[in-house]
Formats: sequence, structure tokens, C-alpha cells
Amino acid sequence: MDSLKNAIDILSAPTISFTLITVLFPFVFPPGDWFEKIHRKLGFWRIWTKPGLYISLVLITLFFIMGYYDPNFNITLTKPDNFPIILLVYSVVICTWLSMYKAYENDKRMDQGEKPAEYNDPDDKVLVWPDLVYIEFIALIVFMVFLIVWSVLVAAPLEEPANPAATPNPSKAPWYFLGLQEMLVYYDPWLAGVIFPGLIIVGLMAIPYMTTTSDNLSGFYSFKERRVGIFLFMYGFLILWIFLIFIGTFFRGPNWNFFGPFEYWDPHKLVPLTNVNLSEYFWVKWLKTGLPSNILLRESIGFISVIIYLGVLPVLLAKFVLNDFLNKVGPIKFSFFVFFGLSMLSLPLKMYLRWMFNLKYIIAIPEWFFNI
Amino acid sequence: MFNKQDERYWNIHLLNKWFAITSLLFIISMVWMFIDDNDDDFKVYQKTFRKMEVETTKRKLEKAILEVKDEQSIYLAKLENAESVLVSKTEQIKQIESKLTDLESQRYKANMDYLHKKAEIDALKYLVEKEKSHIHELPKEKDSKYELKYNTYLEELNTLKRKKENIEFLHNNTKIELEQMKADVKQAKSDYSNVMRDVDLVEAKLNKLDRKKMSFSNRIGDIIRDLPIIDFMDPYYKVKQIVVPDVKYDVNFASVSTVDRCTSCHLGIDNPDYIDAEQPFKTHPNLELFLTSASAHPLEEFGCTGCHAGRSRGTTFYSAVHMPNSAESKYDWEEEYDWEKMHHWLKPMLPTKYTESSCFKCHMDKPDISGGDKLNLGLAIIDKAGCNGCHQIESYPKRYNTGPDLSRISEKVSKEWAKKWIHNPQSFRYNTWMPHFFNQENNNSHEMTQRNTTEINAIVEFLFKSDKQMNRLSDKKYIGDADNGENLFNSLGCRGCHNVLEDASELTTLNIDLDKLPYEYSVSEYGYEKSETNLLELTKQQGPNLIGMGSKTSAEWIYKWIRNPQEFWPDTRMPNMRLTHQEAKDITSYLLSFTNKDFEEEKFSDLNIDELENIARGWLVKAFPEEKAELMLSEMNLTEKLDYVADKSIRYYGCFSCHNIQGYESAKPIGTALTSEGSKPVAKLDFGHIHDIEHLNYSWFEQKLAKPRIFDRHKIVAPEDKLRMPNFYLKPNEIEAVVTAILSFNDDKVGEKKMARYYQEDQSVYEGYKILNQYNCKGCHVIDGFGGQIADLIGAPEFSPPNLNTEGEKVKPSWLFKFLKEPTLIRPNLQVRMPSFSLTDDEWNSVIAAFQDLDHNNLVFESDYHVDKKSVKYKAGEKLQELGVCSNCHFYGTTFPKQGAETWAPNLALSKERLRPEWLVKWLNDPQAVMPGTKMPAPYIPSQEELEMEDSRSTWGNSLITLRGDRQAMLEGLRDYNYSIPGKIDISREIKKYFEEHGYDFGGDEDEDDWDDEDW
Repeated sequence: MDSLKNAIDILSAPTISFTLITVLFPFVFPPGDWFEKIHRKLGFWRIWTKPGLYISLVLITLFFIMGYYDPNFNITLTKPDNFPIILLVYSVVICTWLSMYKAYENDKRMDQGEKPAEYNDPDDKVLVWPDLVYIEFIALIVFMVFLIVWSVLVAAPLEEPANPAATPNPSKAPWYFLGLQEMLVYYDPWLAGVIFPGLIIVGLMAIPYMTTTSDNLSGFYSFKERRVGIFLFMYGFLILWIFLIFIGTFFRGPNWNFFGPFEYWDPHKLVPLTNVNLSEYFWVKWLKTGLPSNILLRESIGFISVIIYLGVLPVLLAKFVLNDFLNKVGPIKFSFFVFFGLSMLSLPLKMYLRWMFNLKYIIAIPEWFFNI
Repeated sequence: MFNKQDERYWNIHLLNKWFAITSLLFIISMVWMFIDDNDDDFKVYQKTFRKMEVETTKRKLEKAILEVKDEQSIYLAKLENAESVLVSKTEQIKQIESKLTDLESQRYKANMDYLHKKAEIDALKYLVEKEKSHIHELPKEKDSKYELKYNTYLEELNTLKRKKENIEFLHNNTKIELEQMKADVKQAKSDYSNVMRDVDLVEAKLNKLDRKKMSFSNRIGDIIRDLPIIDFMDPYYKVKQIVVPDVKYDVNFASVSTVDRCTSCHLGIDNPDYIDAEQPFKTHPNLELFLTSASAHPLEEFGCTGCHAGRSRGTTFYSAVHMPNSAESKYDWEEEYDWEKMHHWLKPMLPTKYTESSCFKCHMDKPDISGGDKLNLGLAIIDKAGCNGCHQIESYPKRYNTGPDLSRISEKVSKEWAKKWIHNPQSFRYNTWMPHFFNQENNNSHEMTQRNTTEINAIVEFLFKSDKQMNRLSDKKYIGDADNGENLFNSLGCRGCHNVLEDASELTTLNIDLDKLPYEYSVSEYGYEKSETNLLELTKQQGPNLIGMGSKTSAEWIYKWIRNPQEFWPDTRMPNMRLTHQEAKDITSYLLSFTNKDFEEEKFSDLNIDELENIARGWLVKAFPEEKAELMLSEMNLTEKLDYVADKSIRYYGCFSCHNIQGYESAKPIGTALTSEGSKPVAKLDFGHIHDIEHLNYSWFEQKLAKPRIFDRHKIVAPEDKLRMPNFYLKPNEIEAVVTAILSFNDDKVGEKKMARYYQEDQSVYEGYKILNQYNCKGCHVIDGFGGQIADLIGAPEFSPPNLNTEGEKVKPSWLFKFLKEPTLIRPNLQVRMPSFSLTDDEWNSVIAAFQDLDHNNLVFESDYHVDKKSVKYKAGEKLQELGVCSNCHFYGTTFPKQGAETWAPNLALSKERLRPEWLVKWLNDPQAVMPGTKMPAPYIPSQEELEMEDSRSTWGNSLITLRGDRQAMLEGLRDYNYSIPGKIDISREIKKYFEEHGYDFGGDEDEDDWDDEDW
């Protein structure tokens, strides 16, 4: 058991877990034919069958049970604040599974020349009363019961009066902001707290409009017809949002250090903070001189990188990689798509730059509070 | 309505079922919510307590009934008798009553007629007045119209008034007649209810408590008032709270008044009936001092958490943040109450063993807080051990150097001795207060020992720079008779502050199960004193235990030191005993006779030059770049290196915190400031890698005191950064006391009116009290009922230095000041000597103010008392003193008492200058009452009967008979006579001469110092 816990601790380090998930992701939600082939070969499609759901629920539950009986994980797991995260894990898994299950069912039907299951509904319509309103009302009551029972069973986790001289360690945002807080490790607040959340929400919403491949695709679940769109959405939502919340909740301990779920939260743990800016890399490490005193000159290499990333790279993509896609959707949709895509990609990119090269900022102008 | 099933996607019956089920669940959850909301712990407790209260009240009622049983029947019989008499007059009463009713109605009518008429007249009066003021505007004949009417009305009114008054008179008389008839019954009734008052009170209380005794409607009401939702109006079971505006809780951005809800569960806390009840109903253990309105700290004004801390608004065992006293009670609580420490409350309740720490926030100014023995001990130890030398404590600053002045150390001890002493003080004196810096957990490795040895060598070389070195060549010159020295040591009063306890049987190992302590403990290998440390015990340790002096210093030094301590240490607390040449020599020989062979035989390693260099380099590199450091090192010669290392070491170990070392007078304290240590968040205490203790501030303090270096364990620390708090080898009870004191140094704020000093007009008395402690006055004297341990050594308490109770109203402040500055002989047969302390005028004034404060007498200047020698009183007094043969024991100036030296008492010629007239009368009236145990007999004061007997004139004399047994006047006469006794005031020379010729032939063995007439 201990070696299993150890293995989980090691695997859950963000460098490893993030890489693993990112690598596996296209095989779970294959965006292209090649991935699809391997997806089939490895049997990942079974996740979206009923046994797949049961197995994943059982695995998650086992993980939590194991955590409950572990003295260290128990502390984080049983915190009243963290209860919503446990619910979140289950609800995300179940909802994702449900949609994918339905999509796969429909894909199968369409492969066999049938219409999607949604077409079998009576006359393709439902009455608002009683079908919709009644069910909503029942759901409302169920939810009220749930909230009442929850509030009776678990006391509100209130803390002492806020004291600027004695802040809690770790200081955690409310659970729904923990993904943002995780981003703050890599980006400045104006980016991680303002620009990215905005771009992410707008971008995720825009995905269906940018990746349309056929005109007759509304009104039913399907994966095959929308592989790229679903892949991108799922990556942005599941990995860059939910997974980061999960990490922030369970794996971030004192001093915002990373701790495996079964690790003791030792406040004395130290991790070397030797992050270096790109300008320092360029001028000091490569050119072996001091930093130029002119701020713009000093950060020129950073500006160039950002311009290349956001300005040149899309052109290159349009020319060599995504020209089919460009032809299909036209320049406007394409440029939005690439902008959002690159913005989203910048988060994992920066994470890896940090992990691999200890890169602190690409552009670092603390004098103007402008860091990227 | 929806019978066309196929139009719907869902089956309506299924939905109906779901709706029914969920609605049911919803109702159940709502009910559950109500139950949960109304099922507070305190309500359960209050219900239990109500039952207890009913039981207690029932018992009280029975008792009360039993108590008045006899009286009750008597008064009841009387009442019945009176009533039966009344019954016989029923007819008569009825008649009078009907007459009264009749009169009443008549009176009512007459009164109304009168009032109506009066109202009309008032209106007319206005018209008349108005008319008169406008008379020039009106025709002449008209002006009499109103006036006429007014006058007739006035007459009518008078008639009505007379009628009314007549009826009223009749009415009153009839009423009185009726009352007189009923008077006996009324009296009997009031007598009866007087007897039954207690019973009625208890019964009324019971009726409110016990539902069974209520009427049906009251019972319903009693149930309804506590029903959910409507229980906001006037419930019986409710949160009880006390708001204390003067005690603030700091919520960081504001201070809010404390709201204590503790009494919601601790329902019997201020009621002595529940002294044996279970918690939470148990009575407070000290109602005399707390909670009751007669006590100094009434519940309504002080609340609970001001002293106990905790979450004052919590109404459950958990949310009030109760804290257990020990591991056992913690376990019990976990079992019984599911207890866990509420992590989010920064001020958890103080476990009862540390509650006393709260006294300090209001009583910080006056030492020896009554009822705070543990806190007092902790504060005394902080002074004694010199904690506040290294650790700044604003509310309890360092007052003096607890260790000796080292500026002339070289004349006192040898270098070798000093090194061995610094390294291991207990090996020389097992119960020294000099702490252990070396051979501790974080510096007992071979490398550290080598380093420390070198540091000690350097420090000693630095301290011993003077040319004058201790030598014992001239010892012979200062040697006297050791046996006599021992006598003197024991009888002069040295033992008021010093012990000489060298017998190994005095030592004992701690009789404590170390595994049961909640912290790791380091046991001293040299043993502990048997006696438990308390304040009285500490007064015996004011000065060091004087063992091993023969192995420590020279005769010359001891001689010079005891003759004039201030020569070596200007600020010493050691007083001048005014020893003669011979006395000093004798005592010197006695002290030198104690040696410590084991200590003498130990050898201390010599200086290791390489290590010295290493240490110097270490410090230099810390302050300078390495190259510069090396350069500086190479430029130093050996002396400079020694000086450098000595300086660094003295600053590192903070030697100057307790000792005066030249050049370090203004060095900053080296320890963490403890000013608000009690409020420090636990997260700011470095627990290091120690996980075996509770994560609580007091657990940390306990551990730190028990093993000061433990938090370095498993840490990699440079020698210059290691923990350096020395080990005092405190006993567990001392640790508890010191932790109590540390917890008392906190940020808690209380209103100005809650501070004890608010009620003290003269703040200088606090300084006086502190001086009394600083100079260990209580080692010899009983002051405010405490101290005087020297009496145990001298023998019976009456043979010890005087008990100073009532000193403040006893002596004149002007005399006291003179006496303290320059003590003179008062009690001629005392061997024990009042020493000369060299205090400033300011300080002596504070001491006098403190004495006066104790007796609530704060006048510095008082009018002189003049004796009228012609008065009868005076003559009576003269006769009384003659009959009382005061001169048997008392000196009258240089006239010696008739009896032997054994019973000698103070010189009466001194009385006028010394004693306050009011006190003297009080004293003469009953010496035992003023000073229990005194040998002074009360002077015989004749009673009136005695004075009226035959022959009384020849026995008592004219003056006494004139006073006719007026005791006060006779005592005053005696006082007046006493005041006018002429003679030399300072007779010390005569007495000294007497004892030089005759010696102290009375008494007997060394520790019996005979003297009589104890207190004046």
C-alpha cells in the first residue's frame, strides 16, 4: 500500500501528471484519424461505455477511500471547504461520460445509416408543461433537500476574524478560483487573473462556431463530426480548469509548495526558487554581459518572442499546417481560432518552460508592472 | 386534463410519484433542520439544570418549612384566633361597611360638585381679570357683570367645599373604625407572613420552576414559550450572555466588547448550592474572590473570558474552545464530548492550570497578587533567574542585575575557578541560579565542547585583566573564630537571605514520573532541593547558598565584602550589616570552612590556539567578506584574538544580561522580547522538528524551559546561530509557574477602569512593594501576613525580627524614614540586626508609602501630639504605668529595666518620636489583637466596678477614680504618660556596652535569640 501511495505521490507531481494527461488526452478524445486508430486499438473507447463509467467511478471512489484512511490525505479530504471538489470530480466525470456515451451511440447509429437517437423522440418535441417545468420543479426540491441535509450535517467552515498579521498558510482562494490561483504560479495577475479567464470563457464558448464542419449538425450528440472542437473544449475545460482546481485543492500545501496527496504538509519544506527571466538568459547566460539599462532593449528578445508567437506563428500555421482548415472556414474564423488556441496553449507552454528551464518571465518589466 | 398520454414524453404518474417522494423528503429534511436548530447543547443542559434546580428548591423548601415549623403553628393559631374574633363581629362590620359605601357615594358626588363649580369659577376669574385690564375700553356699568357673578359663585363654592369636607371627615372616621376592628387580624397576618417569608420566597421560586406546580394555563404557556420560531419572544431556555464593555476582543480591524455566553451552560457557576454538582453546573471554586456581587470581581462586570479566555460566544463544548489541563483529561474529553481543538480560534481557553496568568493584565503593577500564587511564583522566578535580562518584557522589566558585578571578579576568584564555574555551575553549587550554557543537547559534541572550552578560556582571560588577582597569602590577617562566626552567621540575620546547605542528604532527585510530563525533560545530575519551590522558599535563596567558599575565594575578599559589599558592587542588594572588625573576621573563618574538594580536583582544559582562531574566523566571516576576514585575522595577535572571541562570546551568551561587565553597560538584551509572548500566534513559534508536543503556545513554552535547546534537534545550524538559552534545570512546578507568567505577558486590552491601578491614588506604592521584594525584606519580616522565614531558623516566631503588620499606621513616616536611612537599636535584646540598605530617598519614600498603603494610612505629615501633663488623663496614665510596672521590661531612657536582659523591651523614651498616637492606644488596648503572639501583656485597666469598690481610692488613686472607668480615657492617659517619658532616645551604646560586659548569657543555643515584647 505504501509503495502505491508513494507511486501516486510521485505521479501526481504537476510535471508528471500534467504531461501524462496531456499526452494521453488526444487518445481519449481523438482529434484526428491517427489518434482515432490508436484510441480504438488501446480500447480507450470503452471508457464511454457503461462498464467504463462504473470502472472509473469505482476507481475514483477507491482513491478517495484510500485517502480517507491515510492520515495525511484525510486532513485535506475531510475539510468542509473541499467537499464541493469531491462532488465536482464525480459530477464532471458523470456528465462528461453521459455526453460522450450518447455521442458514441449516435456515431454508431449514423455509421449504420440510422438517424441519431434524438430523432426517435415523439415528433421531435417536448411539452413545457408538464414535462419540463414539472421535472425542473422536482429537481429543485431534490436540490433543496440536498442543501438542507448538507448544511445540517456539515457545519459552515468559518474561521477566525481576518488578521493581516497572521495569514493562513497556505492561503487558498475559494474552490472555484483555485484553477486561477494555480495559473498565478506561472503568470502575472493581470494575465492569469483577468485576461486568461476572459479568453478562456469566451474561447470555449466560441469553439463550436469556429470548428463547424457540416451544416446539419445541431440538435444531437455526436463526437465523430466534431472531433477537433470537442478535443479543444475538453482540454481547455477538463485540464486547464478542472484539473488545476483539483491540484490547487489537494496538492498545494504550505508556502504553495506541491505535495502529493499522501504526503505530510510540512511547513518547513523548501523548494529552490531559482527562476530566471528570459532577458537574463539571453544577456547574462548566453551573451555573458550585464543587463542593458534600457528597459526596451533589455526585454527586446521577450517582445520579439511574443510577436513571433502571436503574429508570425499564425501565418506559418496558415501556410503550412492548417491551410485546409483555413480554406474551409475562411480567414476570420481562422484568425479567431488561432488566437484563442495560441492563448490557451500559452498556459501549458509557460508551465513547461518553467519546469524545464526555470523560466520566470518572457517579458519582465517590473518597473511598469508588465510581466508576461 | 392531460388524458392524451401520447402527447407527453414523460409519464405523468411517474412524475407525480417522484413529486410525492421528493416533497416528503423535503418535509422530512425541514423537520430535521428544525430539530437540529433547536437541539442546542445548552438547551439540553438547561433542561437538566432546571430539574436539578427543582430538586434543590424542593429540598430548600422542606428545610425552610422545617425551620419555621414551631413558629408557624404559633402564629397560625394566633391568626385563626383573631379571625374567629372577627367572625363574631360580622353583623357590626356589615353595618359599617354599608354605611361606608353610602358615604363613599356621597363623597364622590360632593367632590364632583365642588370641582365643577371650581372649574366655572376659574373661567370666570379669567374673564374678570381680562375685563379689568381693558377697563378703559368698556362702558362703566358693564364692568361689574362678571365680577358679580364671580362673587356669588365664590360663596357657592365655599358651601360646596364645606359640604365635601364634612362628608370626607365622616367617611374617614368610618374607615378608621372598620380598620380598627380588623386591626388584630391584619397584625396577625403580617406576623405570620414575616415568619413565613423565607418559605414563601422559596415557594414562589419553585412555582416558577416546577411545571407540575403550575396552573394549567401557565403550564401551556411554559411549553409554548419555547416552541420553535416563537421562542424569540420570551423563552425559558435561551442563550444567556453577559456583555463586558471594558474587556475587548480584538478582531484585528476593530475591538469589540466581550460577549460571554458561558453561563448558558455553566448555570450554577455563581450559586453556592452546586458546589458538588457535575460540570457544567458546578459552582466556581472561589466565590469569595469572583462572580458574586460582594466579591471583587462580580460576574456582571468581569464576565468569564476576560480571565479564562476562549471563544466567548461559543455555546457548545467544542465552540467555546475548552482546553484540557492534561493528556488524561484530553483523552476523556475526546471520548465524552468528541472534543478537538478549534483550530481557527487564536485565543483558546486557558487550561485551568494557567488561568492565573490573566490576573496580570489588570494587576500588573503590584507584585504578590492575592490568590495568584502560581503567577507570583512565576514572576518571582523571572526576576530571580534574570529572564527579563535577556528577554525584554515591557510590563515586567528587569529591575536589577541578578548576577554579581564582574568588574572586580579577579580579586574574588581564581581564573581556574571561574572557568570551571562558567562551564558547570552546579558542580560547585547544586542549587545555584546561574544557568548551564554548556554541555547541553546542541553543544555536547566533541567539536562543540572544544569550541566552548576555548570560548570560556577567552571570556575568563577578558574578565581577569586586572592586576589585582585573588590570592590567599594574606588569609591569616582575616581569620577569626569560626565557631563564633557560625553563631554570628546564624544570629545576626545572614540567614534571612542565605542558606548554607551542603549536606548531600538535602538533595533529592525529582519524585516525578518523567514519562507523564507532556514535554521532554532534562534532569540535573546534581539533584534538586527537597522542598517544593514557593515564594517563601525563594526568600531563603535571595543570596547564594554559601557552600564551598573555602574552595572559591580568599579570606580577604570575604572579609572586605561582608564589611562593605558596595565597595565591590555598588548596586548590590546585599546590605551592610555594620559588622565590627572581629565579627567580620569570625564570619569569614566560618564561611571559609566549607570546601568542595571534588570541584577543586577538576581540571579545566587550557586554551587551544587553533580553536581560538577558528572561532575568530567564524565570527569575522559572518561580518566581513572572506578575504577581508582572513586579512583581519592574520593581523590580530593572540591578545586581540582572545579579546575578539571573548567579546563575541559575551555578546552571544548575553553574560551582561545578569552581570555588570565593563563595556557592556548599554548592550541590548539578546533574547526574544516577551512583551506580548502570550499573544504570539502558535505559527510564529519554531517547533523545529519536534512533533511530540501539542501544537500550543504553552506546550512550546513548557518544552523550551524544560530543555531550552531542543528545537535545534535534527537541524543543521552553524555554531554562531545555535540556540543559546541556558538551562536553569527548573523543576516542573517552576516551569508551570514561569509559563503562567509568560502567558500573562500579552496584548489583551482591558478598560482603564478595570485596571487595579485606577483605584490607587499614589502610584509610588507599587515601587515600594517591588523594593520590599527586591531587597527580600520578607526574608526576615512578616509583611502583609507573608514572610519571616528566618523565624524558623531562629526558633519560635516571637524571637525573630518584628512582624511588620500594621507598620503603616504604627510608626510616624518621618521617624521611619530616618530609621531606614540609619537603623538604630530599638529592641535591646535582639541579636538579629536590621541591616543598612543604601536606597535613595525616592526609594525609601516609596517603601514608606507601601507600608502606609497596606494600612490605608497615607498621611506623610501629621500634627504633633501634645501631652497635657496637668490633665486627669495624664495622671491616671502615670498611675497605670506604675501599677503595670512597665519599667520591669522597658528602658526609660538610660534607666535599665528592673528585670534581666532576657525580657528587655524597647526604650519608652523613643515612643513619642516613633509611634503614632492612635496606634499606641489601639496597641495598649489589646496587644495580641494587633500583633498575635507578642509577649507584651495588655496593661491592666480597671473596670468601673473595681473603681467603685471600697478602698479604691487608696489602690487606684484620685485621677483614675475621676475617670470613672472610661477605658478609652485611661488608655489615652497611659499613652500620654508614655509620650512624656524623658530620657536618651538612642541607647544603643549603653546596651552594647552591657552585652560586651555580660555577653548574651540568656537564650541558649545558636538559633535561639532571646528577646521579648516582640513588637514595639
